[in-house]
Amino acid sequence: MGASMSITSLFGKLFGSKEVRILMLGLDAAGKTTILYKLKLNQTMTTIPTVGFNVETFTYKNIKFNMWDVGGQDKIRPLWRHYYSGTQGLVFVVDSSDHARIKEARTELHRILNDLEMSDCLLLVFANKQDLAGAMDIKTITEKLELSKLEKRPWFVQPAIAIQGEGLTEGFGWLSDNIKNMAKK
Amino acid sequence: MATGQHGLASLRRTSSVANYANSAGSRHRRSFSTIPPSRSNEILQTTRPTRSPQPPAGMASTSDVDRTSDLSAKGMTASSGISSQHSSLSANAQPRNDGAGRRRRRLRSQYPRGSSEQHVEYILVASFDIDRGPVMEHQYPVAITGDEHMLAELMLPDQAHVRNQDWTIFFLHKDTSQEEDDAERRAKQERRARRNRKRDRAKGIIHESDDEDDEAGGLDDDEDDWDDDVSTDSEPEGGEGPPLVYVLNLVNTKQDKTVKRGAVVKAMAICTRHPFLHIYKPLLLLALEEYFKSPVPETLAMLYNAVNEMDLSLMPKLSHLERHLLQASDNKDLFVEKFEQMIQARIAEEAGGEDVLQPFDASNEPPKRPSIFRSGSRAHIEGHAAYVVPRDTHEFESKVMYKGIPIPIKVPVAVMPEIVGDFSLIKLIQNFSDPHTKSPQAFPLHPHLTTNGPNTHPIIVLINALLTQKRVIFLGHNMPSGEVAEAVLAACALASGGILRGFTRYAFPYTDLTKIDDLLKVPGFIAGVTNPTFEHHPEWWDLLCDLPTGKMKISSKIEAAPITEGLVYFQQQNPAYANLVHNSSSSGSSSNDLTGDAAFMADILRSISTRAGERVIRAKWRAWVLKFTRIAAAFEESVYGASALYIGSDEQEARLAGAHGHGYVWVDEATKAKELAGNVTRIEGWRNTRSYYSFIQDVAQLYTIRPLKGLDLAHLHDRLRAQRLTPAQSKEIYDTLAKYVRSYDEICLLLSVAPESQAGLFYIALGLFHKDRDVRFKTAELLERVAEHEAGRHWWRALSRFEKLAYVRIKREAEAEMKAKLEKEERDGFSPVERRIS
Repeated sequence: MGASMSITSLFGKLFGSKEVRILMLGLDAAGKTTILYKLKLNQTMTTIPTVGFNVETFTYKNIKFNMWDVGGQDKIRPLWRHYYSGTQGLVFVVDSSDHARIKEARTELHRILNDLEMSDCLLLVFANKQDLAGAMDIKTITEKLELSKLEKRPWFVQPAIAIQGEGLTEGFGWLSDNIKNMAKK
Repeated sequence: MATGQHGLASLRRTSSVANYANSAGSRHRRSFSTIPPSRSNEILQTTRPTRSPQPPAGMASTSDVDRTSDLSAKGMTASSGISSQHSSLSANAQPRNDGAGRRRRRLRSQYPRGSSEQHVEYILVASFDIDRGPVMEHQYPVAITGDEHMLAELMLPDQAHVRNQDWTIFFLHKDTSQEEDDAERRAKQERRARRNRKRDRAKGIIHESDDEDDEAGGLDDDEDDWDDDVSTDSEPEGGEGPPLVYVLNLVNTKQDKTVKRGAVVKAMAICTRHPFLHIYKPLLLLALEEYFKSPVPETLAMLYNAVNEMDLSLMPKLSHLERHLLQASDNKDLFVEKFEQMIQARIAEEAGGEDVLQPFDASNEPPKRPSIFRSGSRAHIEGHAAYVVPRDTHEFESKVMYKGIPIPIKVPVAVMPEIVGDFSLIKLIQNFSDPHTKSPQAFPLHPHLTTNGPNTHPIIVLINALLTQKRVIFLGHNMPSGEVAEAVLAACALASGGILRGFTRYAFPYTDLTKIDDLLKVPGFIAGVTNPTFEHHPEWWDLLCDLPTGKMKISSKIEAAPITEGLVYFQQQNPAYANLVHNSSSSGSSSNDLTGDAAFMADILRSISTRAGERVIRAKWRAWVLKFTRIAAAFEESVYGASALYIGSDEQEARLAGAHGHGYVWVDEATKAKELAGNVTRIEGWRNTRSYYSFIQDVAQLYTIRPLKGLDLAHLHDRLRAQRLTPAQSKEIYDTLAKYVRSYDEICLLLSVAPESQAGLFYIALGLFHKDRDVRFKTAELLERVAEHEAGRHWWRALSRFEKLAYVRIKREAEAEMKAKLEKEERDGFSPVERRIS
């Protein structure tokens, strides 16, 4: 499933020359690094906490994604803002089974989106870890994150199980369609 | 305890540029720059007599010895004449036995036994907590005050999780507290007062409080001497506050299934004031491994004690000039005598504990040489030698006992300012030269940076950026942070050349996004990062050096260079060359290599490709930086009418009978104007920077300890080398050199302007072929003095056979003449003169 994404196609080089910068954020242990390497290598890696950041480039649907995965511990969250400039899409990853911290996630998400530099970017939310018992569904997640408050911004919530790669293609499908739409505008 | 602070934070204090020039007034602890004005000849003579520097058998030349004291004493007062005038009268005298004259600075250890100064001040351990991010776990012996969390962040570099091991380096600006400062000053004053009293007593003046002082003073004698030395020999410490604390940090990531989220990330750091922090690498490796096994403060204590027990007491302390000579030389034997002397003193000390400092007369039997062996020699390996001199005098060999294992350590002997850690200029140069050679990139023009137009070599752009105090970032995405740090340290050394300062103090060998707000408050910095997000923020830097691609980028948001008075004056004064000056509107200097930098880089790259060593390349860069400062001095003199970059007034020069003149030497005026035109913009850019102001301070400070004030030996030597001189002109220069270059220090100075790596003594020895007989004789005498000199003998040895033969011939001639003269005088009934040419 993910194989088509990890291979840089010839057409990608011909047409999709422009890089799209994607920033992936979320609380610690939400699964950001797992998603990144599933997309890049189509491999499930045992990840350890990210000290600082990871960044990888991969091509999907002729779009070259330059995706940043920034560590999520609360002490290092203030650094997120330095990654905002030039970002076209925000991928926000939520651990759907973590009821205790969904409010914290909401606060962080809205803080990011309120930044001037992020005013034009798309929002993709991965409601990750759907396989775990007690995982919230996307409706609950949408409510808890108060996404209805977002007015003009295109947003999308995608259920996902990152370690199996489930939902990732769909999420990035939405992202690439909307990036093309933005380009047309 | 003092407040420990990461530099960024404390830099706010110094970021107002206005007071740099005055900062010489406020001295901190250990900035050994103030020279007590009260010092005089007598004080020097109260220091204990020591033996002279190992005269080679049969060459009993002691005239230099007695003059050392005169020199430094006279030099203290500005009004005194040329220090060597006295010497020229007594030179060539036979060894005299009047004790008073036979004093010489005692050879000291750089790190004496029993000194309170620790090699390592702190050991730290930090780890990456799953929930909290970086945290400090332990600090030994006490906690560094200041922002503990920031330290922990620095110890856990970005992407430590993708590497098993990584090194980082960072600097702390540790302020000494007011009380500490005061205490230090008081102690110094007391020592000085005691010395003065002692001297007065020697003269017969009695103080009321003498009795008590006598006892205390006697014990402290040694310490006084240390103090003495520190203020005579050491060059200024930078004048910008207390010395930095250098931190070497090792971080390890261990996969561990038993812990939450599968990995443990821990880092251990050593904090030291020694710039050679790389020597501790093997120890940190062992100690961090140990800490994974037993994560307790005792593990830190064990390392702390082990490194502080390292014995460097047999490493001799070199003077400023000696260090420069050693640095610039590739010779593994240079100053080996000093190591032997240290060992002999130690052996004698251990043998009897009696006064080992008794001078032994050069005329007496030299003491029986105890068996000292070269490190690595057979006797050494077989264990016959208790003490050994190093294989290479550039490195002192010692060891640290850690858990019963002796870890060999090599400490650099000649430590130059701004040279920190272990790095390779060659690596830095190649990293940015290779891509430039393959596919040169055109830079956007900036007067300070692109001094050779859009195709200026990137390394030249880099050094220009550093000289004009731009914000420089080294970015190494996916690289270990240790490699990034190395590039930063190499860049500091490149721009400093061991001559200029103000780079390491504003260098952040490894930093990350967490410090960006503080970093941006620093005007002009050199930082190493691994996070590519820095590239997306051109407002944060002026020059970005991307290590993986070897490309440099000048920021689109760099501040334009102002049109300065100096530039305008230069153009008015030199209308013919005005349009050669590079400014944003024209790129006149691009076509022809006005600065000579293109040729210089070609030479550097040629040297690298012919496998010249790191030392050779460093010496070449040092020469470049030196040349830059001398051109800047010439520029200031021609444009502003005066320059603080050179001390020595015309008046003083005029008092010397003989050749004078100073400054950089050009073949002719047109060449000079062209080279100045090529350099105007970057000199003007340099004139407002920290390195410029501290250089002015250093020039003033070094002047006080420099031999041969008012005589620019480099100028004289360069005229011999570069210019076409009439026999009368060259006679004047050879006469001057022969007349004034006599003492140990004076010969050191001469050697330093004629480095082995260039032509050595070649141009001086050409005086052996001068058409004037007198010049030939005097040059031979000068060369003889050089050959007897501890360092000079190596220069002598490198002299061509042709010149050596000429020397021998002239000596024979001189002897024959002398003999004839003596015979004649005897016949005529005169008593034989004492003076003779040995």
